[in-house]
This record gives sequence, structure tokens and C-alpha cells, in this order.
Amino acid sequence: MAELLRLAGYSAVALTVPTGLLRDRLSALRRLFEDEGIQTILRVDLSANSREDLLRLLRRFRNAYDIVAVKCMNQAVAPVACRDRRVDLVFFDPRNSRVKFGHPLASLLCGALEFNLISTFLGETKGEIFSRIAKEAAIAREHRSRVVLSSGCVSPTMVRSPPQISGIAAAIGLSREQSSRGVSETPLSIIKRNLERRSREYVEEGVKLVMPKAR
Amino acid sequence: MSKRYFLVKAISERPLSGERFEVALVSSVRRLFGEFGLARIHPKVVRFDATNSEAIIACNKEGAEDLQAAIGLISDTSETTITAMTMHVSGTIKGLRRKQRF
Repeated sequence: MAELLRLAGYSAVALTVPTGLLRDRLSALRRLFEDEGIQTILRVDLSANSREDLLRLLRRFRNAYDIVAVKCMNQAVAPVACRDRRVDLVFFDPRNSRVKFGHPLASLLCGALEFNLISTFLGETKGEIFSRIAKEAAIAREHRSRVVLSSGCVSPTMVRSPPQISGIAAAIGLSREQSSRGVSETPLSIIKRNLERRSREYVEEGVKLVMPKAR
Repeated sequence: MSKRYFLVKAISERPLSGERFEVALVSSVRRLFGEFGLARIHPKVVRFDATNSEAIIACNKEGAEDLQAAIGLISDTSETTITAMTMHVSGTIKGLRRKQRF
């Protein structure tokens, strides 16, 4: 998979890891990608059924991972996830009819909206799912929301190059600018900001320690 | 009408033929954009190198972005699962050759 990612032109990959994964296994996993020259970023996907659960999970895991994504399971969790500054990405399961990305959520969104395009569209896909994703894309386009496009791949056969993912996003109705930024600038800026936040020098937003140069 | 040429690498478990690849490509375009989209994009496998599993695909310039999406959503032929990845896009076959020896 690492070789395929390099072939596709990726420089970094966000690994979604289970919260209880042992450190040894994690470092072995990271080494697999880093040997191919691909930077690894740790990501956690949180899914909660209530507001309280989500806030508890965020308190527990925010500082342990580079990227925190929230899978919105219902209409009670979605506004909290969209509004919370600790959440980097929110995403919706297109097969879950209980919650959808609408105008109220788009206006609340602090982080970025993620579309897992390849895992959604590969194989047998119903027209309803196409239409739902297209509606969400239209809302994101109207509100100029920040969008992150990812493959959501779980196997090497699902790896696609960034221009292909950007092309699929344009086909579902995102603007050309949003779709090209969704595979380049937006994810990079999230990674950069979070790595800076997790560095030792970081104190708070806009404040960091600067060591004087030794003479 | 001006064209765009795509150099595509197909990765599959079993050896793949040019015909099989073209069938998979056309069905992916048809699934995503319909018959009208297929006519507008007009994809065609110009060359297929079975040893390296690389193909040159031609399409109308206006449909290049849509073809990019359709190539991304090629998933399987009747025989095997495939992953198709666009390596380069150019206005001429010569341009593709310059970027990668074919």
C-alpha cells in the first residue's frame, strides 16, 4: 500500500488507528510508510451517540492524535462536532438517513467537511447516495466551507491519485478551487497547525516559546 | 476537436488485456455520466502495454476532467479487481512519451 501511495504521488498519509493500539505496533506501522518516504500522521475517528459522549472523547483523545475526525451519527452530535474548535474534520455516512449536512451545520462548521469519495462510490452505489453527496457538495460550495477529500481506503485497491479524487469531487459538484484545495492546501494546513500545536514550544493560539540563540 | 491523452497504470491481481480494460473504462464512464456523457467524453484506449499494465487513453478535451473521475472509479472487470491510476496527462502522445517512456 505504501508503494502504491508513493506511485500515486502522495507525500503524507493520515493513518486512522484504533484508540487502543499498542505503541510498538503503531511504530512498526509508521515505519512501513516512512521507509517509502511517506510522512505519517495519526488520525482518530470518533463516533458518539450523544453530545456528552463526544465531549468526553474529545477531552480524552484530542492531545493524543494529530487529526481528530468526528463521524456524525445523529442530529444531536452533528452541531456539537461542527462547532467545536478541537474537531478538525467532520464527516457523514451517506447511508445514514438520521443525519445530513445541511445549511445550519454548514454555517456552524469550524473545521472542515470530509468526503470519503472512493469508499463511497466504488462498487455498487445507489442513485440516492450520489444525489445525497451532490446535495452536500452543493451546500459546501454555497457556504464556501473548507473541504477535505479523502479516499477513505481500507485496502490497496482503493488507492487513487490526488487528481483523480479532485476530478471525482468536481463531478459531484464541488467548485474547481474547492476540489483542488481539498487534496492539497486544506489537509496540509490542518496537519501543519496541529503539529505546531503538539510541539513543545506551543503555549496557546498565537503564543509559542522562542529560545534565544546560544552565543 | 482537440484531444487529451492520459497515461494510466492499471494494477490488477491477474494479467489484464486491453479489451477488458476498455470495457471497464467505458462502463465506469457510463455509470458515472450516462450515455450522453460517454459521447461527450468519447474515451478510447489508444495503446495498452500488457507487460507493464499501462494504457494511453484519448478523450475529448472538454471531457478530460470527467474522464479523470471515471478512471478513478474503475473498480473491477468480470475477471479481476483493478486499480487504475492516472500517471500523466498531456495534449499529445509525444508529450506523454517525454514524461514517461512508453
